[in-house]
Amino acid sequence: MNNAQKRRHWRQEKFLPYLLLAPALVLLAGMIYPFALGFYYSFTSYWLQYPNRFRFIWFDNYVNLVTEPLFLSSLEFTLGFTVAAVVIQVGLGLAIALFLHGRIPGRGAIRALMLLPLMMPPVITALMWKIMMASTTAGILNHMLSFIGVGPINWFGSTEGAVASILIIDTWGNLPFVALILLGGLQALPNEPYEAARVDGAGALAVLRYVTLPLLSPFIVLVVLFRTMDSLRIFDVIYATTLGGPNDATTNLHIMAYQYSFQWFQMGKGMAQAIVLLLLVVICSYLLMRLWNRASESTQ
Amino acid sequence: MTAQGPSYQRYVQNVVIAVAAAVLLFWTVFPFFWILLTSLKGPGDMLSVPPKFVFTPTFDNYTALVIGEQRGQYSSTRPDFPLFFLNSIIISVGAVALSIVAGIPAAYALARFSFPMKDGLAFVLMSFRFVPFIAFVIPLYLIYQRLGLYNTHAGLIFAYQLITLPFTIWMLRSFFQEIPLEIQEAAKIDGCSWFGVLTKVILPLSMPGISVTVILGFIFCWNAFNYPLMLAGRQTFPVTVGAIQFISYEQVLWGQMAAATIVAALPQLVLSLMVQKYIVRGLTMGAVK
Repeated sequence: MNNAQKRRHWRQEKFLPYLLLAPALVLLAGMIYPFALGFYYSFTSYWLQYPNRFRFIWFDNYVNLVTEPLFLSSLEFTLGFTVAAVVIQVGLGLAIALFLHGRIPGRGAIRALMLLPLMMPPVITALMWKIMMASTTAGILNHMLSFIGVGPINWFGSTEGAVASILIIDTWGNLPFVALILLGGLQALPNEPYEAARVDGAGALAVLRYVTLPLLSPFIVLVVLFRTMDSLRIFDVIYATTLGGPNDATTNLHIMAYQYSFQWFQMGKGMAQAIVLLLLVVICSYLLMRLWNRASESTQ
Repeated sequence: MTAQGPSYQRYVQNVVIAVAAAVLLFWTVFPFFWILLTSLKGPGDMLSVPPKFVFTPTFDNYTALVIGEQRGQYSSTRPDFPLFFLNSIIISVGAVALSIVAGIPAAYALARFSFPMKDGLAFVLMSFRFVPFIAFVIPLYLIYQRLGLYNTHAGLIFAYQLITLPFTIWMLRSFFQEIPLEIQEAAKIDGCSWFGVLTKVILPLSMPGISVTVILGFIFCWNAFNYPLMLAGRQTFPVTVGAIQFISYEQVLWGQMAAATIVAALPQLVLSLMVQKYIVRGLTMGAVK
């Protein structure tokens, strides 16, 4: 290679990645610009119907949030729902993964069928359950529950019913995600620790507690990460079923921000709520990412 | 008795396993089964107490979706479901195509070159997976109103990039990284430019990965609900927003909603069985293989 070629080669290697990235970066900028604009709006009194009142009001939207009862209740529901959903789904998902990891007849078929709820549009899943959860005895769910002496439950009309129904619907759609990732993790585990445990004469529970769970921990943290992020910002299911009701019992931050911005058109306030939700998501993902790094380091 | 102990124990174990498998199967499949039944019911059977498992099936609900009319108690005022279906296809295909065109070179750059800010960029892309949509949709709504992009396919295709572009780049990057470096070096020595390496080596070898990315991207676009809810109007609604139109203040058109649900879900069911090996990888953006 002569000098000119070398220089050309060097220049190419240096600028080529940016050239390749250019189309994606243009699209990315097109996403970041609206977000930056929205961030600016969160410091203004932007109200779509009253354009004359547009003023820069610093942190007023954020300060006002803290004193708002609806904000506190929806923050509580956001966090409470997330904890409940993650605990239920990861717990049941782990059980299902361990179950399917054994020699089960028809395992392949069950696995394939479990993909179907997972790939459904969440809003369609919600509508399906809405049909089944019709609060009269014509709803199939209440009809089936009547055989075991439960109900009829007023699914979307009562506070407990509404919270339970959203948990059930979200779990139906996302339990397969947890189960399939953990099952994949179980199947990738090395064999040697199990042989060592068998030599030591460890019982099934001890193997689960001291061998399987620690080895599986990176996968568990990963599904907790994904499920936490998605539960914090759940929207479609709530929108299609309760719309935040009854009495705002199922209003989370996402629904609240939607109501402020697209029902009352207070874009500034809505955007401030969106930013608070975003911060919550960022903090949680940061903590869980650190946990994930630690978990995957300790098993390697 | 003692001789029968182990076999009795195994028998109980088998029963427990069978029951657990049946419960799992029932929980997974019954909702589909029930919605299919509901979609085939006429208005008389729809709300009967107790719910009917045996009835004379009718395709009225599906007919109503297509032509907007139904014999029987109520008629639909929503004749535009075929349009919603077409919208879903247009927007999803457009969004995936745009993402692939922009994503292939970007993924190649992230997989094969090192440059400053590379990891930061990859992280920014990943973080879009976790962003609450409302933080983007409020400003997008205001901008689209001004630019005339509100209620257009183009506007929705662009908004969907938030879903498909980061996903496409991460997925393709993970597939590109699996191609051995030696093959690429060999191609370079044979006189291929970077463009030659990309088009003659990388793309042919990762064709399966690219198809999986396209199909999964299409599925995610099809599932999208909240962007079109705010940014689309009646002429551009996809099926997800269309299906919810059967709920009004006066009544819920249960039968037609069930039929719409089946129609909206059908492409998902077929496509997800096609790519079942890669779904977990796709849902974690390549983090779990």
